Amino acid sequence: MAHTGRLERAVLPAAVTATLAVIGVVFYYPVATVFAEALLVGGRLTVDPLVSVLADPFYTGVAHHLVADPAGIPAGVREWVSAGFPSVDFGLFGFTAYQAALSTVASVALGLPGAYVLARFDFRGRETLRSLTIVPFVLPSILVVVGFMAMFGRTGLFNDLLGTVGLGPVEVLWTLEVVVLAHAFYNAPLVTRLVATAWESVDRQQIESARAIGASPTRAFLDVVIPVIRPALLTAAVLTFVFTFMSFPIVLALGTLELATVEVWIYARVQALDLTEAATLATLETVLSLGLIYLYLRYESRQRATTGAGRAPPRESLVVGWDTLRSPVRLAAAGYGVVVAVVFLGPLVSLLIESVTAPDGSFTTAYYEFLLAQQASTAVGTARPLPSILNSLLYGAGTLLLAVPMGVVVALLAIRGGRGSRLAETVLSAPLAVSGIVVGLGLLQAMVFGTVLFGYRLTATGRVVIVLAHAAAAYPFVTRTVAPALGGLDSRYRDAARSLGASRLRAFVDIELRLVAGAVLAGAAFAFAISVGEFDSTVLLAEGTDSYTMPVALERYVNNRSLGPNLGPATAMGTVLLAITALSFVAIDRLGGRWEQ
Amino acid sequence: MKRRNFLRTVGAGSVAALAGCSASSVDDGTTTPGRATIDGTPGGTLRVATYDSFTGEDTAGNYLKSAFEEEYPDVTVEFTTPSNGVNQYIQRKQSGASIDADLFVGINTDDLVRADGQLDESLFLESRDVLDRASALDPDLEIDPEGRAIPYDTGYISLVYDESAIDAPETFDDLLDPAYEDALITQNAQQSDPGQAFLLWTIDAKGEDGYLDYWESLVDNGVTILDDWQPAYDAYSNEEAPMVVSYSTDQVFYGADADLTRHQVGFIEDQGYANPETMARFADTDTPALARLFMDFVLQPDHQGQVAERNVQFPAVTDAQLDETFAELAHEPPETVTFTYDELQGNVDGWTDDWARQIVGN
Repeated sequence: MAHTGRLERAVLPAAVTATLAVIGVVFYYPVATVFAEALLVGGRLTVDPLVSVLADPFYTGVAHHLVADPAGIPAGVREWVSAGFPSVDFGLFGFTAYQAALSTVASVALGLPGAYVLARFDFRGRETLRSLTIVPFVLPSILVVVGFMAMFGRTGLFNDLLGTVGLGPVEVLWTLEVVVLAHAFYNAPLVTRLVATAWESVDRQQIESARAIGASPTRAFLDVVIPVIRPALLTAAVLTFVFTFMSFPIVLALGTLELATVEVWIYARVQALDLTEAATLATLETVLSLGLIYLYLRYESRQRATTGAGRAPPRESLVVGWDTLRSPVRLAAAGYGVVVAVVFLGPLVSLLIESVTAPDGSFTTAYYEFLLAQQASTAVGTARPLPSILNSLLYGAGTLLLAVPMGVVVALLAIRGGRGSRLAETVLSAPLAVSGIVVGLGLLQAMVFGTVLFGYRLTATGRVVIVLAHAAAAYPFVTRTVAPALGGLDSRYRDAARSLGASRLRAFVDIELRLVAGAVLAGAAFAFAISVGEFDSTVLLAEGTDSYTMPVALERYVNNRSLGPNLGPATAMGTVLLAITALSFVAIDRLGGRWEQ
Repeated sequence: MKRRNFLRTVGAGSVAALAGCSASSVDDGTTTPGRATIDGTPGGTLRVATYDSFTGEDTAGNYLKSAFEEEYPDVTVEFTTPSNGVNQYIQRKQSGASIDADLFVGINTDDLVRADGQLDESLFLESRDVLDRASALDPDLEIDPEGRAIPYDTGYISLVYDESAIDAPETFDDLLDPAYEDALITQNAQQSDPGQAFLLWTIDAKGEDGYLDYWESLVDNGVTILDDWQPAYDAYSNEEAPMVVSYSTDQVFYGADADLTRHQVGFIEDQGYANPETMARFADTDTPALARLFMDFVLQPDHQGQVAERNVQFPAVTDAQLDETFAELAHEPPETVTFTYDELQGNVDGWTDDWARQIVGN
């Protein structure tokens, strides 16, 4: 017994060490080699590149005065006031933050009603729909672009539909609005899934107690429900902001170069091998993102609510016969359903239609035959669909198995309290806040080219490293879904278990982890999604065509001209990817749901 | 039991990480490959680095591999397709990592300029003087003053337009006309080859001092700048605009029997911008003679015809054997424009950056 106790006490430190080792090797070290380009010149620490970026009005707009000419600021402000407050330009960083803020608002607006409907109403297929909410999250951007173009283009499905009711046509491509909409397409599911999970953990007893002492339903909602869903909602909003702040292909392909973000510039600088400026821009981007995450974590730690242990209030039926038409909430839900159909289903269905439509508009199965032909081909350099599917599933499962314990371990560290733990979690959230281009570059330099140690050049690529890199990218999602739920747990449950003789570890695994099972499951689904959707690192670490994933194969089909210069083969592969990931999410939730009970 | 599983899962990460590693001794890399000739029958492995659409079923790359291996049965051709192209090798050289290829296929003029600008020693070996087929090359396509990068095909950047919607613009100034408002889709010169070629073409036409003003007017007239060729061409195919910057070989994809209304090729100022694709031997190759043999093979008249047709580009030699249909559908511009290596050196980055800053700053 004493032996077991010691072993168990060693488990958490060992798990922490292993977690840090993994992310140290496949994330911090590679990324550090890139950031060093911004901060070290000829081996010496310098702020020159940083200053030159900050002092460049192209990047920072009026804020460049802060660096270039701080003494002139009061005069500049007076001038601005006397000119009648003309609009102020904050340069590339300003525009990037602006479009990210708009995208966040849009994602919350589109995602929150979904969380409400999923958490509070019962209807046929609710469970499946809940599992499928994350599907947009894994779509390669080229497919989102194809889907949006086919849905919202001049000759797209949306204009066809508007035409049937005598409206339109509208031209939304190449505007900020469509970029924001595409960002919402990606990130509203994040809001829906995270908030629905939290909403489902609202304790029925607490609401009933509040009502029993005379609180109105509104009061009970504000006092009991809001504190439970607020951390999840803010987490989702912060993540959405950080992601859309680093957005890149969507912006260029749907918005044109005029709507470029900082990430577009990082990519261009990397292409030109101007790594110093690329690294400087990326450093600033990361500092801003991590700063935001830190502020948020401090706020969250002060807002922690007790949640999640009791039974959720029963769901109401969404459809109640003819009475449905007399219920304002249900009618609003129906209206929301229409919006969802246009924004989410529209592009996905358009993608499906594109995959069976020839350039002249006729029906074709040529693109699926192309996939079969690729599968049968023996030519070198052919990316065959089946191995890519199996690899994606394998890496996804591996990532899930690795990222869930890693994320839970970090969540445990994070909820211990104290300012240090906020800072620790911020630093450990870095995989969310570093540009994918920089991570790719770091992995290329540190792993593919290798690192010289003791006269030997160590390189590491292939399947295992791909899974490790995916896990490093995915575990912060697990942490971010699990930490707020874990932090909100009533410590009495743990104390009760321990007083009954359970060890600390036993109490954690059997009691606490089960109580936050919904959050762990959501984190697991996101970990899988991150792995399946990942492209930048995978394409570098994959050795030859054998370890390719679905997005990598799809990218190859984008460049394949054997059926002419169209995206048909890519849309067919995209449809396969959609089907496989949709099935996977349902399977993850079903399997996880069994553990949850 | 559960506890142990937990331990094992966490531990597996670090053990497996080691399993994926490899270590090799770092050598100082001072070997200099000479201009070896092949004694007897050529044999061994030739490692060709290229872009990914050069390989796979029915591609020029696979044709060359089969034909070369058939002619020299003891030789194996292996392809490697790094996702960041020639930058991969520039960076490898910079960091002292080994160059795991003998030949790179698919270098543009600005790639060569960038490689030379980044490295003290040349990444590539001189080839022109040792090639039997050098005299057959179209002199207009020879971009490298040092004879390292040898052209194997070329594209001409032009407009592809819908003749049922517009007439082809005859001059660059025509594009500023209200008739062409919102009519043109092009690509970001920072990351797209045809996009950069189109930008360079406007610099050639309007001069270093005039191109930014010209682009300001072009933006005012509603030009759409997308990230890359494929999304731009896809937008054009979806009838988002009646004109796109593309290649003059466009009709080859569709064939003479197809309706070519939307596949008309327009040469602004009766010109097209030539974008030759070249190949070069790595300075670190240990089979320079075999690599040279392969380059000569690629330049043979029959293989040149195959490369051109499979890559949907024009051949780089004057005596290529081309299919008649191809010659009919692939349009060659009356006059070609291209910036030389010397003109791009020290300029291309600045031109592109100034341009992009102006577009975004608008």
